[in-house]
Amino acid sequence: MLVKRKPAIWNRLYFVEIIQGLWITFKNFLFHKKVTIQFPEQRRDYSSRYRGQHYIKSVNNVENCTACMLCPTVCPASCIHIIAGEREDKEKYPVKFDIDILRCCFCGMCEEACPKDAIKLSNIYEMSQQNREVYEKDFLLEQRGNK
Amino acid sequence: MPKCTIDGKEVEFKPGENLITVAKRAGVDIPVFCYHPGLTVVAQCRMCYVEVEKMPKLQTACSTNAAEGMVVKTNSENVKKGRAGTMEFLLLNHPLDCPICDKSGECDLQDNSYGHGSAYMRHSEERRTYVDVDMGPVIEKNMNRCIHCTRCIRFGDEIAGIREMVAVKRGNNVDITTIDGEALKTEYAGNYADICPTGSLTLRDFRFRKRAWMLKKTASICEGCSKGCNIELQHEGNVVYRTIPRENLEVNKYWMCDEGRFNYHYTQDETRVLEPRWNNEKTSWEDSILAVKTALEGKKVLFLVGTDLTLEEMSAIREFTGLYYPGSVLQHFGTPGIETSAQDQPADKILKMTSKTSNLRGAEKLGIVPHNPRVDHDFSAAVVFTGGRAVLPELGHAIQVGVGVFLDKDHQTAKYQHILPGLAYTEKDGTIINHQGKEQKLKRAILPRGRSKSTAEILMLLANKKTKVGVA
Repeated sequence: MLVKRKPAIWNRLYFVEIIQGLWITFKNFLFHKKVTIQFPEQRRDYSSRYRGQHYIKSVNNVENCTACMLCPTVCPASCIHIIAGEREDKEKYPVKFDIDILRCCFCGMCEEACPKDAIKLSNIYEMSQQNREVYEKDFLLEQRGNK
Repeated sequence: MPKCTIDGKEVEFKPGENLITVAKRAGVDIPVFCYHPGLTVVAQCRMCYVEVEKMPKLQTACSTNAAEGMVVKTNSENVKKGRAGTMEFLLLNHPLDCPICDKSGECDLQDNSYGHGSAYMRHSEERRTYVDVDMGPVIEKNMNRCIHCTRCIRFGDEIAGIREMVAVKRGNNVDITTIDGEALKTEYAGNYADICPTGSLTLRDFRFRKRAWMLKKTASICEGCSKGCNIELQHEGNVVYRTIPRENLEVNKYWMCDEGRFNYHYTQDETRVLEPRWNNEKTSWEDSILAVKTALEGKKVLFLVGTDLTLEEMSAIREFTGLYYPGSVLQHFGTPGIETSAQDQPADKILKMTSKTSNLRGAEKLGIVPHNPRVDHDFSAAVVFTGGRAVLPELGHAIQVGVGVFLDKDHQTAKYQHILPGLAYTEKDGTIINHQGKEQKLKRAILPRGRSKSTAEILMLLANKKTKVGVA
């Protein structure tokens, strides 16, 4: 059976509770180190293994990618679309290399599957955009990481 | 029947069968490169090593015939060591260009290396390289990948009936090439790419278009001629990328001709009519059907069925004409000059037949008579049903309605007042009867392109009484 008890007068005043609560607030405000940072000016250090914005590694301005299609095969989000072709200095190269970045889940499997050390995930994490962008080959060929 | 033991299992065999065939029946797969069931045995690759009791050394299973009481081990330590050694030798000069190679994913060398070879390489010397010859429009050659199994040489010699590939030089410098570096002449060149166990010979048509593992496979029948070769349509995303032959020892064995192999291209041609047309202008199905009904109303109609249609389609057309256009004439057409099955003879010693449509026997079985352009039939309208492969007949000035697959580029679509787009052989199910009288099934691989409809659906629309004639 449910017994209704009135709280003691001490508790009904809430006075002690408010003082206790405010004390914690002031304690953290005055004596603790801040956990937030001033973002655009201050930045955190991320692990070198962080999986951010993609790029295709190129050596001497020739992309490492040979369009072997292992990354679209392994991609769980099916966000990589490649069309292969042939040119003078390279037997097989990607004519089109699109990453549908909205679909990408940054699992890094493409990087892991790549036999040619071509597709990489850089440390860049600022990728907000105002349209549904698809990363195209020219954009991906900008060397934005050091992996 | 005599018996032998393979890996502890007793298997019956016919005298003269080799150990690979017998082992397959016992459920044991022996890795091979140079052995092909359709070609002679040369025992060149040394991959199919097995251990036979009472024989001092490892034997090649392809060149060893099974014998009464033979005890064979295919998985002993000795055999594993032998195969690993062979694999290492084969890979000494093989470039590691699987990411580039079109064969990867369906490559015997990949599979067997993974299954029987070592993951490590001991040699560090430079690999042997070649300058490749141009092999013509069908085959792309990359000699660096070759493992000298000589399947291609034997195929040309024994199946294609033309000795055009040879092995020149000896030992480490051996070069598998065409005689005098000429282009391939055989009309069966696509098979070179199929039988090559590595990516040494690959199809130019398929070069870099898709990887082998991405393709979905549908078992179907070739509609290139009345041979009815068993094929596999390989497609992805509603696009057919290539066709390869399927094994059927009664029809095409393991092979198919280039004409049939590249035949699928017309079904994906840019100039294919994919929307109903009325006097060469795009229109809706409703308008088009009404217009056709009006045009055929009260006329003596000649119905022509292409012998590239399936039995089901022909039978539906026969029923339709009997019910809705009594008094009309129903005839079949296909290859000029080949009107009856008696005229349909082998065009060469291998596979090709002179009838370039698949279902001439089917039309005959349904009792449809051949169209003879020399006889004047006194008709004022003609409806032509075609699957796209049959050669369209000349029909003079009558009102012409085309149903089926039409290409702007070579079917002179301007002559047709109405065109109702139908399905090509990759897009429909059905039965066709080949030159031996065998009934074989076409299987739909891809969905209909554009706004095309099946013949049955078009006939149903034409037969529907609710669409009143003359309303449009």
